[in-house]
Amino acid sequence: MQLQNKISLIHFNLSDNTPHVAIHNQEFCTKCKEKHCLTVCPTGVFKWDCLVDSPIVVEYQQCVECGACRLVCQFDNILFCYPPGGKGVIFREG
Amino acid sequence: MVKHWCELKKPHKISKIKNIHAKTAASKYDVIIAGAGPAGLTAAYFLARDGLDVLVIERGLFPGAKNCGGASLMAEHTHKLFPNFWEECECERVITDQSYWLMTEDSVLSSRFQSTRLAAAPYNRFSVKRSNLYRWLANKATQAGAQVLYSHTVTQVLFNTSGQAIGVTTQTSDNNRCLADIIILADGANSLLAERSGLAAKVTSANMSLYVKETIALPSAVIEERFNLLPGEGTIIGLIGYPTAGFNGTASIHTFRDSININAGMAVANFAQAGFNPNDLLERIKKHPYIKQLLVGGQTIEYGGALIPEGGYHAIPPLVHPGLMIVGDAGSLVNGTHGINLAMWSGFYAAQAAYAAKIGRDYSTQKLSLYTKLLDESFIIQDLKANAGAAKLMRDLPYAFDLYSRIANETAYQVSKVYTMPKRAKRQMIYTKVKSMQPVFKLASDIWKSWKVIR
Repeated sequence: MQLQNKISLIHFNLSDNTPHVAIHNQEFCTKCKEKHCLTVCPTGVFKWDCLVDSPIVVEYQQCVECGACRLVCQFDNILFCYPPGGKGVIFREG
Repeated sequence: MVKHWCELKKPHKISKIKNIHAKTAASKYDVIIAGAGPAGLTAAYFLARDGLDVLVIERGLFPGAKNCGGASLMAEHTHKLFPNFWEECECERVITDQSYWLMTEDSVLSSRFQSTRLAAAPYNRFSVKRSNLYRWLANKATQAGAQVLYSHTVTQVLFNTSGQAIGVTTQTSDNNRCLADIIILADGANSLLAERSGLAAKVTSANMSLYVKETIALPSAVIEERFNLLPGEGTIIGLIGYPTAGFNGTASIHTFRDSININAGMAVANFAQAGFNPNDLLERIKKHPYIKQLLVGGQTIEYGGALIPEGGYHAIPPLVHPGLMIVGDAGSLVNGTHGINLAMWSGFYAAQAAYAAKIGRDYSTQKLSLYTKLLDESFIIQDLKANAGAAKLMRDLPYAFDLYSRIANETAYQVSKVYTMPKRAKRQMIYTKVKSMQPVFKLASDIWKSWKVIR
């Protein structure tokens, strides 16, 4: 099953365009060789088109709020907080 | 003057009926708990039952909305805190079967224990859906008199000039400051509150494990048939080796009433090193010939991911601060597969300490350290201490789960296979095979290292 199909099964209460995950400074990302954020995120929030000067796009709407990204960033460059009350992911099945 | 001083020193009698005027004027609570999980809600229940004015603040829309991952409830632990809980809490299945599978790409070496003795009260374990468990605990807390506020994210802990925690701020437009004598942080594995208040260091990617789960719906009768279970009974299967693709980590299958959960995960640092997506692990497990068989006809209904603190004893931050205690996952109180029960007990102990502090009107670290004293005396810290080296051992032997599953499966294969050679020669051949996979001295040293850690 493709990841995108799985993400479509998760319920999200979308917030009013206030990202709770963001990249602080894209300059560090161009220096970063590993880019762990691209692979570690269970829902693939961080996307990059593999072009040298392209920024990493953060699709925070599909974040499940695990917070793993901020632990793997070598430059401590990922800003992460929990979304406003009631917003974000809603798990129903345990 | 003396009379006034005596009045102050007199133990504060706490009555169930609160002085409404005092409360509305100050909008101050006895205890504020950040996070409505097993730890926070257990603390809230016991504090409210003892007559304290408790406010629980939860960022989810309802209890358990932010939590996922196959869960089991340890009956004896829960029964001691909430007698006969199985009559109130909606449990999925009574766990009567505990299995471990050591896996390679094509083989499974399993150990299985099944007993109807585990199906009678007071039971051993239950599989539960987190939302049901959390909702039940929230109802208990509310019925006892605690106030639970949903859809509010605690953003900050407030401290006075002397460093005493005095309240929290929440992310709402009006009335976003709540004050209390005692703050309990029960905000889970990624405790941003403790970190951003400077009470705990940032957790590391080596000490945190990332788990992903997939819930697959299957009819109840099909689950019972495929897993060889009696009606209403369930199994938890621990999967080791193949599922984590060469790294140390675990996967598991939890059976619910009409669905099963497959969980897989390992240290966040391992994921970073491996460079694959956690979902790839799940998909890989699902393709294993002996797992695939179990899932035929199942429909995936939910996917999710969560962090679990697995740093063990050495990763526990200071749990008591002036006017503040840290409980449950936020305090890294997880030992192997035991997490929910440790969280509940830590909530219970924190409630005891908070009550004693409230009675004495003393919210200092010294007074609240009754919490850590109770923890130290309990099985929680004793077991965590006993397994303190486990996290380091996993780092020292990064190949352990994979290699030893392979060796075990290879040995089992050779033992099962019937050759035309004499038995003595077969034993010699198996020994040579094992030796070729891991030198004998290295094997002996790994066994010795593990023996020292797992006592």
